[in-house]
Amino acid sequence: MTKGLVISGEFGNILAREKSGNKIELGELLIAKTSEGKILMQVFDLVYGSQLSQQNLELVSGLRLEEDTELELIDPKLRTYTLSKLKNILTIKNNKAMSPKTLPNFFSPVRDVTKEDFEFMSSHVPNALYFGDLRSGSKKLDVPIYLNGEKILSHHILICGTTGRGKSVLMSNLLWNIIDKDYCGMLVLDPHDEYYGRNKTGMKDHIQAKEKVEYFTPRNPPPGCRHLKFNIKQMLPHHFNGVVDWSDPQRQALYAYFKAYGRDWISSVLLEKEIEGVKFFEGTIAVIKRRLMQLLKLEVHNEEINCKGIFDLNLGEGTIKDIVNSLEETKTVIIDTSEFSENVEILIGSLIASEVLDRYKNYNFEDLKKKPVVSIVLEEAPRVLGKEVLEKGSNIFSTIAREGRKFKVGLTAITQLPSLIPRTILANMNTKIILGIEMKPERQALIESAAQDLSTDDRNIAALDKGEAIISSNFASFAMPIKIPFFDLIVKNEKQEHIPSFAGVKK
Amino acid sequence: MKFVHIADCHLGSWREPKLREINNNAFISVIDFCIKKEIDFLVIAGDLFNTALPSIDSIKLAVCQLKRLKDKKIPVYAIAGSHDFSPSGKTMLDVLENAGLLIDVSRGETVEGKLKLKFTEDMKTGIKLTGLLGKKGGLEKNYYYDLHRENLENEKGYKIFLFHSAITELKTKELSNMESMPLSLLPKGFNYYAGGHVHIVDQKNFKEYYNVIYPGPIWPNSFSELEKLGQGGFVFVENGKAEQMKIEPKTVISVKINVENKNATEAEQEIIDGFKEESIKDSVITLRVEGCLRKGKITEINFKKIFEDLYAKGVHFVMKNTSGLKTKEFEEMKIKESSAEEIENNLIEEHSGQLKIFEKEKEKELTKELLQMFSVEKNEGEKNSDFEKRIKEMVDSVIMETSST
Repeated sequence: MTKGLVISGEFGNILAREKSGNKIELGELLIAKTSEGKILMQVFDLVYGSQLSQQNLELVSGLRLEEDTELELIDPKLRTYTLSKLKNILTIKNNKAMSPKTLPNFFSPVRDVTKEDFEFMSSHVPNALYFGDLRSGSKKLDVPIYLNGEKILSHHILICGTTGRGKSVLMSNLLWNIIDKDYCGMLVLDPHDEYYGRNKTGMKDHIQAKEKVEYFTPRNPPPGCRHLKFNIKQMLPHHFNGVVDWSDPQRQALYAYFKAYGRDWISSVLLEKEIEGVKFFEGTIAVIKRRLMQLLKLEVHNEEINCKGIFDLNLGEGTIKDIVNSLEETKTVIIDTSEFSENVEILIGSLIASEVLDRYKNYNFEDLKKKPVVSIVLEEAPRVLGKEVLEKGSNIFSTIAREGRKFKVGLTAITQLPSLIPRTILANMNTKIILGIEMKPERQALIESAAQDLSTDDRNIAALDKGEAIISSNFASFAMPIKIPFFDLIVKNEKQEHIPSFAGVKK
Repeated sequence: MKFVHIADCHLGSWREPKLREINNNAFISVIDFCIKKEIDFLVIAGDLFNTALPSIDSIKLAVCQLKRLKDKKIPVYAIAGSHDFSPSGKTMLDVLENAGLLIDVSRGETVEGKLKLKFTEDMKTGIKLTGLLGKKGGLEKNYYYDLHRENLENEKGYKIFLFHSAITELKTKELSNMESMPLSLLPKGFNYYAGGHVHIVDQKNFKEYYNVIYPGPIWPNSFSELEKLGQGGFVFVENGKAEQMKIEPKTVISVKINVENKNATEAEQEIIDGFKEESIKDSVITLRVEGCLRKGKITEINFKKIFEDLYAKGVHFVMKNTSGLKTKEFEEMKIKESSAEEIENNLIEEHSGQLKIFEKEKEKELTKELLQMFSVEKNEGEKNSDFEKRIKEMVDSVIMETSST
């Protein structure tokens, strides 16, 4: 259906007059035909247009307001109208999409997009991962959006949006869709304990949950899940980077203890063992000891260390290895960190992420090619990737952000404040899923680092409603507006009846 | 209250008669202990036999020993393990149970799609026992997911749960690649968790799971187990206190010799020297030779002579492992997988999903079960045609079962 005509403008800012009665929305996708094919355009702004001068318009409104006159214009549909500002997104020719290089003709009609216009996207996408359905303005189209999950996940994803705009639903959908895929393992640090679905719908309800989902929690694990325990002998001084802000002498002391006592360095600090030939200022050791005890919930009584939390002297020896093995087996590992302080959560992430990156770095090129991608989901990402944090020194997550993709280790960072993340790291996040954001500086940070030119999309982003998003990615042909489906609906549609069999159990 | 917990007897496992005899003697010594201590009952947490259809000799041994317990009115409570339970659902334990020699406690019914296990109460002590059998490849894990837990966890009194599965939290580093299940799959609140399947000796307490115990095998089952464990064992529980007991029918001496950069003659001398100090009479010797020979072939080391010398000195049995022995004269060949089962699993994983008859997971399970069936050996005196018929029936039943689920 014709919605308007192209009347003027310039490349990236084409003006089209709206046909009366055909409401064009901000963010709507429109098609203009040319002799070469089709041009896909998107509305980035809407303005009023009129054949009357501003003075006359003001006079007409004055008469209506002050004189209470029902003044009718002759041919009002011709004289007043809406103008849409459009940016050209793609040229579609012979079912292939290309970067736009031409303008549509003068008076070219623009029409609604149809499913058929996007046939160029229906060709086989390797490692296809479903993100949602294409959206034109607020209308959902019957065009599912699949992108190459392996590429997207290894090159980092940034999910941003204000609270309540659907970040968690989107993340749940992605995790759900990834569970049965054999190209990726997901590590989820879950500070709200929301993804496994202990008391609601979640990953536990997936048909392959038994085989492909692992849940670690410090409290009362449901059947099939693991009690979270880490052995303190598995911890190295560098695991505390980004977790505790050590002074230089404190850091030196940590490494000196590690050099002297190896894997027993933490217990040696706690028991205040001496290092031959090395003297530290008394206060240094006292501070390290106090901080370690506080962070790891350890107590010392009569030269004995008591473990009160998830960090243990005897248990949890295999936890890190088991988790990394599971990730290599393309499982989704969810760690309930809801009971922990921010620092402990980051420490847990640091322990696992370091092991993943180390292991992947040690594979030779051929072996690495066969390995699945591992993606680490980080909520409130600026806690570890923020400018302020990184000024104090790098941590494993910033290392992964910079060089992880070479080793098939990626981040899926979630935040409502992308502006706190340094530009260099934002630029490395090759896929950005943008949900509604009210704050201008946050939108600006995203626009400046997006894979596609979003310089005119400021209003579009501000106007994104709950469940609406824009995917800007190096692996997408254009910045795709999508509608995120409800998670519960996805789960409901995929539920299958399970008929158990208990051969061998006697009656 | 006194009971003994054993697992992984694997009667009939060793091909070598001398080692098989030691294994048999280990089993007899457990029964002797049970009778001597006048225990209330014996618990067998799976793999009494090494196969679902064991040899006549193994059955005879088990029957004789269990009969001794029956005569002394000591009941035996057991579950089938991954070795003595056939994929078609047959186990020699059925025969022993029908003969009144033991009670299989893995019993229950399906209630609203869940497995509701029943307790078997020991008449003398009032102790309640239940458990779940083990299956090849850890397939019993699915049973635990569909387990009705309330009745098990709410039952009052002293309760014992028998299981034949690897528990992730108890796995050692060497077993890190073994299929396992998390502790949380076991029902909570039992007084004793009698484990089997993993050939380790371990006893741990966790929150809501006390006395999770693996007694280890009654006698090691492989070369590496002989090296690592050196003896067999079981658990004796008296008034709630569990004690690991040793079974040492023969002393095991494990000798590891590194012949790196030596020639074959020097290596041979090094091995001979390795036994000079040891008191080896009547012992079982494991000899592991590792390293890369500078010169000469591995076959130039005269193991036959070394063995003859050892037997002349009164050694009961000697066995060698030269998997880590190489020579620079031959190219090294790397095999990544550590066990036949692992190679099998990797190949199945790689090729599953091609048939498109069943779901991928089902197909994998079926493949594993079929492989297990095709490794069943012909029974003594069994005709070829009967053997073929038996295998065919087993295969049919498993395929039917898979199709119907």
